[in-house]
Order: sequence, then structure tokens, then C-alpha cells
Amino acid sequence: MNKELEHKFVTELENNQNIVHKVCSLYTNNRQAHKDLFQEITIQLWKAYPRFRGDSKFSTWMYRVALNTAITLYRKSKKRVQTQDYDTVIYKIQADSYDETEEQRLKLLYDAVRELGDIDKALVFLYLEDKNYEEIADTLGISEVNARVKMNRIKNKLRTILNP
Amino acid sequence: MDELEWLKKDWQKKEQHIPKLSYNDIYRMIWKKSSSIVKWIFYISMIEFVFWASINLISYDSDSSALEKSLGIFEITSSLTAINYAILIFFIYKFYRNYRRISYTESSKNLMKAILDVKRTVTQYVWFNIAIFTVSFFLLLYGFLRNGEEGQQILHAASEAGNQTFFWIVFTFICLAVVAIILTLIWLFYRVVYGILLRRLRNNYNELKQLEL
Repeated sequence: MNKELEHKFVTELENNQNIVHKVCSLYTNNRQAHKDLFQEITIQLWKAYPRFRGDSKFSTWMYRVALNTAITLYRKSKKRVQTQDYDTVIYKIQADSYDETEEQRLKLLYDAVRELGDIDKALVFLYLEDKNYEEIADTLGISEVNARVKMNRIKNKLRTILNP
Repeated sequence: MDELEWLKKDWQKKEQHIPKLSYNDIYRMIWKKSSSIVKWIFYISMIEFVFWASINLISYDSDSSALEKSLGIFEITSSLTAINYAILIFFIYKFYRNYRRISYTESSKNLMKAILDVKRTVTQYVWFNIAIFTVSFFLLLYGFLRNGEEGQQILHAASEAGNQTFFWIVFTFICLAVVAIILTLIWLFYRVVYGILLRRLRNNYNELKQLEL
């Protein structure tokens, strides 16, 4: 791996690091785990980089590798203690910008998303990232119809959680 | 409003609170090591290989080769050992290849294939070890009975006592029991060592499969 490639990669990752941080924040629930996953994704990206041919955008490719890494190589045990230490979560809910109930409902939603299966979570993540179904399907390697069906199921699930 | 639309708004508002790493932070990261499951399968197999090989080398001295010679199985055990190591090295190579493949895979389909390959390789590896052990055990037994001094005495005593059939039945039974116990222990050992890692891989696989349906 030569210096030039290294520099190019680090620069691109530095510019697009938000994507990785956001994946980490959804798939982990404390700062240390976030750091570990960021590290792991960085390594996977770097290893796969020589094969990145540039026929998709760097960020699209990053979504794919980052999510695959989160899903496959870095699974938290399902048995972990489920207390959500919200102070350590990156996306801290800003108390001043919401009224009490709205804030609570949002927290409930975030919790519900975290409780989803790893792949459902990936779908929601891409949705939150404002990707359309074509892009979601492409990133996860499924058909567009499949992505829509799954998304509808997730929406229903979240709705029942919020309005029991 | 749609719950997810609502969440999306909030999500995008939070963009500004994302931490930022410097160029140097990231640069340091690319030189660190991966900590994935498949890598551990590869490492454990290496450690295991070195462990058994060193036990073999330390305990194997002129006495053992003399014993094997006197039992008349020296050639066959030596070639068996050679084949054993050749195949073990091949397995380590395969573990390493799996590790590389799974690390670099981008699409979930390839990932599934790679996970299946890892599982198959590990299963083959475990069965290979069990088979090698069984073969060596019976080889030793065979040499012992056929050419060993005590073995000859036992056989002689059995035929003199006149109940040879009974002797063979008991003998076979004991042998099978010993083999069964040892094989169970080996099997348990592999289950503990690789089972945990494989179970995690299987979970991943199942989730990926759900996605495919």
C-alpha cells in the first residue's frame, strides 16, 4: 500500500467520517463500543479500499462496508444490559429544543430502533439518512420491493411500540 | 405524522453533534488490527497447531521411535504424521483465506457464502482431527497386539485359557469405550473453542438470510 493511496484514503474518510459515526451510534450504546466499532470499520474500509473501483460514490461504498461490518463482524451480545445510558450516546437529545412529551416520545423511538434486528436497523439507518428505496436496496443488496415491504413492517412495528 | 419522518427530522438535526476525528486519528487507526470472529478462528487454529506440534516434538524422542519400530508401525506412523502436518497446514491456509475473504466482502450475498465456507472449513477441520486421532489409536493398538511383548503375552494367555471369543468381545468393548470417551472429550473441546465463534457467525448468517427472502 503506497503513501499516496494512504493519503487519499485517510482524506476521504476524514471528509466522510460522519457516516461511520452515525452507524456506530446506532449499533453501539456507549462511548467505548462506539470507538471500537469506528476502529473496526476503518480497518475494513482500508483493507477493501484497493478494490474500490470508484464506479460508485465513495460515500455509497462506505455505507455498504460500514453496515456490513456492523452487522457481521461486530455484533454486541443480545444479552447485554439494556439500560440505555443516554448521556454517553452521541445523539443526546437536546432538552431545550423539545417539550417534555415530545422528547420522551423521541427517546422511545430511538430505543425502539435500537431494539430492532441488525438488518432492520440498517434499513432504518439508510432511511434516516434520506436515501430512497433504490439506494437502500442497492446498498444492502436486496430488491427494491423487498426494501419497501420490510420498511412497512418496521413502520408498523414502531407504531405499535409508540401507541400501545 | 409518520413516526419515522419525525425521527428523520430529529436525526438530521443532530448532524451537528457528531464528533470529529482528525486526519492523524484516522491515520493511526488504519494500522491497527482487526478484531473479528473469523480472525479469531484463524488465530486459535494457529495456536492449536503450534501447541500440538510442540507437544509432539518435545515428547517424541529416540525411545518413541524405537517403540514404534519394535511395534512394526514406524513407517506407517511417520507417513501418517507427515500427512497430518501437511493437511493441518492446508487448513490453516484455508482459515486465513476465509478470514481475508470475509473481511473484504462488500455484498451480503458474498458474505453469506463466505460464512458458510468458514463453517464448513471448521467442521471439516474438527472431523479431520477426530479421524486422525482414531486412526492413530487403532494403529498403536494393532502394533501393540501384533508385535509388542505384552501384547503377545496377553494373546497367548487368552488362547491358553481357551475362552478366546470371550476375550475378544471384552477387548473390543473396552477399546470402543475408551475411544468413545476420548472422542467425546475432543468433540467437547472443539465445541467449546469453535462453537462459540461459530454460533455468532450463524446468527449473522440467519439475519442475512432473512434479508434475502
